[in-house]
Amino acid sequence: MRPRPFHLLAIVCTVCVVLVVLLAFHSVDPETAPHATYVERPVAETGATNRVASVYLNYRLYDSLLELLVFFVAVLGVRFYLGARERPDVPPLAESEVVRTSAALLFPLAVLLGVYLAALGQISPGGGFGAGVIAASGLLLTSIALGIDAIDRRIRRNAMERIERGALLVLLLLMLLPLPLGRPAFADLLPKGAPGAVLSGGSIPLYNVLIALKVVAGAWLILRSFVRHRGEI
Amino acid sequence: MIARTALLALLPIVAAIALTQRRRLTAIIGMGLFSFLLAVSYLLLHAPDVALTEATIGLGLITAIYVLAIRRTGRLTVVADEAPGLFVREGDRIVGLEHEILARFARHLGLDLSVQFVPHRDVADLVRSGEADVGAGGWVLGEEAGVFATRPHLDTALFTVGGTKEGTGEGVPRVRYEGYFADLDPKSLYTAETPVTLDLARFLAVQRSDVPDDSVTRHPQPRGYAFVVNGRRRDLHSALDAYIERLREDGELDRLAGRFLA
Amino acid sequence: MAFSVGVVLFGIGLVAIAIRRDLVIKLLALGLTNAGSILCLVAVGDRPDARVPICAVCRDAIYADPLPQALVLSAIVINFAILALALVFVMRLVERYRSTDSRHIEDLVQRDLDEGGGP
Repeated sequence: MRPRPFHLLAIVCTVCVVLVVLLAFHSVDPETAPHATYVERPVAETGATNRVASVYLNYRLYDSLLELLVFFVAVLGVRFYLGARERPDVPPLAESEVVRTSAALLFPLAVLLGVYLAALGQISPGGGFGAGVIAASGLLLTSIALGIDAIDRRIRRNAMERIERGALLVLLLLMLLPLPLGRPAFADLLPKGAPGAVLSGGSIPLYNVLIALKVVAGAWLILRSFVRHRGEI
Repeated sequence: MIARTALLALLPIVAAIALTQRRRLTAIIGMGLFSFLLAVSYLLLHAPDVALTEATIGLGLITAIYVLAIRRTGRLTVVADEAPGLFVREGDRIVGLEHEILARFARHLGLDLSVQFVPHRDVADLVRSGEADVGAGGWVLGEEAGVFATRPHLDTALFTVGGTKEGTGEGVPRVRYEGYFADLDPKSLYTAETPVTLDLARFLAVQRSDVPDDSVTRHPQPRGYAFVVNGRRRDLHSALDAYIERLREDGELDRLAGRFLA
Repeated sequence: MAFSVGVVLFGIGLVAIAIRRDLVIKLLALGLTNAGSILCLVAVGDRPDARVPICAVCRDAIYADPLPQALVLSAIVINFAILALALVFVMRLVERYRSTDSRHIEDLVQRDLDEGGGP
């Protein structure tokens, strides 16, 4: 790549922007107290000890809903554009015994980890998103080791599509359910439970599990399209 | 505390190194490493949820889809520069003598042919680094380390165009070029300071415009067009050599040359 | 310190998008700008001697701010989905124009447009 005048301009502009942002940040007093609302109140109001989970699954639930919708649309887009170019036969990328055995060992671990993170998202770090992604990574590992055809025979695309859409629909219904019952939308209907227990946090664990299902199905559909594609680059 | 500062300071360094890589695969893996360091930084910033999500997504899924996108399975990857008569893009198709040879060769091996157009000077680098299997596009035999050159399949000659007109010191007048040379700045093609060396095919394409005869020097040695193959793919090189030789013996090579280079 | 690193990462990503010609590297740099922004957000929530905001009964300790962490969690997942879609578009582009060089593709698109009709 030859140095061009445009490169110099790009570097100079970026350096200016970076310096301005840094100056602005450091000229403001950074010592602000953390939002007391999000640290002290959540246990009493939501029942979850994980403050982060109580924020994105209770106080800001609509953010998570919209984020799931964006994810859904992206999955649709990937499948639409890559769907026409799927190879009917894709050989397994790695055929050594070591990879197959370790994939067989690691896949149940990945699924277990996903279930754990989703179920206990309200009392420990994790949550539905991380859980779904870990399970999808496990699926990708097995598809690399055993071949995408073997995985596609076992896990049919329709099943994954139904899981994804079903989870999204149930999530929507759950979020709108309080409306006919006289409560505002996105309200929490389930009992809060004792803080720190597995069954606590109201409907947060339920949301976590549904989100995990949606994310694992969506991420697997994306990954599957990529594996099936001919990889032209 | 010191560990955290050191780790944070390491992040831009790793990112800069990863993004200035030549090979795409190295850049992808470098960014994967960056994701990992970033996840650890999130841990040190007291954000375990974020750290977990970043580790799984950035390090696992994103690296995976990039690698899946750039892998090449069951394919013969050719990088070429456009050369008139040898390798030309026409709408959606590619025509040319060299393309025809390589397409038949790929079919013969049972592979798909995948062609990418790159600037002329990148062809050798890409073939040497292994990102491409074969380099083509009017490649003239020269000394290139790390790659094999097949036996020349077509004779050609080298011409040097440009330089000052005799005695006057002024530059050769600007001429139109046909857009084949992605790496040559059009303004510099015919200026006084930069004589440019072209092979026969490109020279013929360029000569359709007005080039004064006294600015053209023909190199006396006979040259030939050849393909370049990665230096570690000895099998591919001998297979390609044998295939071209067979084409030559059958007379097919001459027939194709007549068809594409009339 | 972390915020500054985040801004610097954003700057590196921006420069890389502008300078590198390979489309895949451009996408990687875009991901880097995302990572830089996210690091800035998380760093804002961190404070000296903070603790992880997970506790049964939170007493008078200082805790990291959970709000930016929660916002950023969604952002990371969305980044993955959008990056996957962008990569799909890049793959389609490469298939059509048979090159990953952005300037080359621009020239070809311009040529297609000049010859009348769309790409």
